[in-house]
Amino acid sequence: MHKGNIIAIGLLIGMSLGLLSTPTWADERMVSTARISEILNKVDDLWRGDSSYVEVTMRVKTEHYSRAMRMQGWSKGKEKTLFRVLEPLREKGTITLKSGRHIYSYLPKTDRTIRLTSGMMMGSWMGSHLTNDDLVKETRMEEDYDATISFEGVRDGRELIEFTLIPKAVAAVVWGKVVLTIMADSYTPLAERYYDEDMQLARTFTFSDLKLLAGRMRPALLRVVPADKPGEYTEFFYEKLELNLAVSDSIFSKASLQRR
Amino acid sequence: MLNSLAWRNIWRRKRRTLITAFSIGFGLMLSVTFTGSGDYTYTHMIDMGASMGMGHVTVEPVGYQLKPTLDKRLSHTESLQQRIVAMDGVADAVVRITGQALFATAHKSVGGGFIAVDPAFETPENNIILRSMVKGTLFSDADSRGIVIGEKLAQKLHVAIGKKIVYTTTDVDGEIVSNIARVSGLFATGIAMVDGNMALLAMASVQKMLNYERDEATLIAVVIKDQRNAASMRERIKMLSGAQNVAVLTWKQAQPDLAGVIAFDKAGNYISQFLVGLLIAAGILNTMLMSVLERKREFGVMMAVGMAPGMLFRLVMVESFWLAIVGLLLGIMMTAPWYYYLYHTGIDLSSSFGTDFSYGGVLIDPVFKARLFKESVMAILFGVFTLALVAGLYPAWRAGRLPPVESLKTL
Repeated sequence: MHKGNIIAIGLLIGMSLGLLSTPTWADERMVSTARISEILNKVDDLWRGDSSYVEVTMRVKTEHYSRAMRMQGWSKGKEKTLFRVLEPLREKGTITLKSGRHIYSYLPKTDRTIRLTSGMMMGSWMGSHLTNDDLVKETRMEEDYDATISFEGVRDGRELIEFTLIPKAVAAVVWGKVVLTIMADSYTPLAERYYDEDMQLARTFTFSDLKLLAGRMRPALLRVVPADKPGEYTEFFYEKLELNLAVSDSIFSKASLQRR
Repeated sequence: MLNSLAWRNIWRRKRRTLITAFSIGFGLMLSVTFTGSGDYTYTHMIDMGASMGMGHVTVEPVGYQLKPTLDKRLSHTESLQQRIVAMDGVADAVVRITGQALFATAHKSVGGGFIAVDPAFETPENNIILRSMVKGTLFSDADSRGIVIGEKLAQKLHVAIGKKIVYTTTDVDGEIVSNIARVSGLFATGIAMVDGNMALLAMASVQKMLNYERDEATLIAVVIKDQRNAASMRERIKMLSGAQNVAVLTWKQAQPDLAGVIAFDKAGNYISQFLVGLLIAAGILNTMLMSVLERKREFGVMMAVGMAPGMLFRLVMVESFWLAIVGLLLGIMMTAPWYYYLYHTGIDLSSSFGTDFSYGGVLIDPVFKARLFKESVMAILFGVFTLALVAGLYPAWRAGRLPPVESLKTL
């Protein structure tokens, strides 16, 4: 299953992809189920690593403001992720720590760490179009969806595979369905579309700008566009990615936030 | 002798006596209107507040009021609830879980509060939401994945009946937990705070999500027959076995906002009644003083033939007494039809209220009505009567102090 590992990618892309590659639907079902599982596992492998380090620039454009932010991040396993703001100076040192299902936020100005309460989980993460909840949800999603291949073949001159993920009836998922499009040859993700219950598009993740990252061609640009505000977006551009490097557990402890 | 003398005296000037009696009667009417509308409105507000989830008396975990986290909970709620329901003066007692939650759909997420209920125990009498349903119904059983939300909350979330809502809260261990529910009904109480924030969830589903046992909850809401007995009921519930390690609160403690608003309003009411009383007392004083001063000569003669000054004092007091009695009778005659009208029909003020009828967090009746408690009736009669007597004190004292010879000389 997905590791939430490649920090930003792990968090942001992986969150959306990793969830699919679960062995749970590989077992007694039919060949197609096994194949879906296999492909999704491979998609997940793109971002898989026991640990990771990333440098990423986030650009947020909304009706009211636009901002850019450079961050560095570490991850270990699928449960632990940490982001630290590098630029702008004003927010330098702000840390977001994800540990299991909790998110902690450290503000250097006040030298305080707060744990986000359930009420804050749907709040925007650093002013972007992602919520705090988006960051923690990933690990549960494997249990929440049934996946099928809804399209396979050539579209717009590209060989594609399109998966449709339908949330299970009891799953705590707000979406009506999620549609994931990947390239058939490399299993590189292209887009992920979230629909509401009336099957109206709610938001779109697009992946582009293939670039050599950690020894492989991977999409370096992730763009999140909310459907009801087409002029707005949040972009993540990956400048640097290292996988399977030595990361100490201690940097993910709550106590270490202050010391940094 | 004194009685008949006084009675005849006050009717020597019929017009003046009648005018004074009318002013006493009018005071009675004002007092009945003010106090009656207070008695009615406050009871209405308190009962309404009680049906908003907490009851007149609330049994909850110690410390829950200051820091309402869901790790604090009552256990063995069922047996305690049964014991409370069996008590004299208790109309109903329901077990509920209240908490904060985040409601999310694909479009939006909104923070709010929930009340987890077992539909078997909820009635329109003990739950305002059930009497305010505008669409759909309450879910049918405690295991259901249904949710009933306010119309305004539904608008914010862009959901309709049958659509799903993911709600997120914090469980007993402080872990963040989410669950899914489908909208089974919508309500509109008219209180913006409630319609835009509150949801009813199914008891067993919430218990499972929070890791509660089957008989654990955060409160028992006790609805009592007469809201004025809340404090004594609280003491009696505290004495119950199984209620030792819990907090028992009256609505005043559980809903301090409401209690504050009512106390403030009551104070205003008392002040205006006091001022009206003062005006009436001045009227009586004026009448009696006039009648004493114009009878100087008469009193002088009476004293000259041997009437004791104390007797004169008593005579004027008895006159005040009869004047008060006449005033009260007149007042009762004037007030009865007015009170009957206010009791049954009332004056519809809804046009001057706008759309939100809430005050102190509860809905108030836009119809001006009056319902007097027995004690209030006694208090008003006693109050007006005493006022009349007190106003007669000074003229009576003057009458007793008249120097007999001068009185005869001057006139």
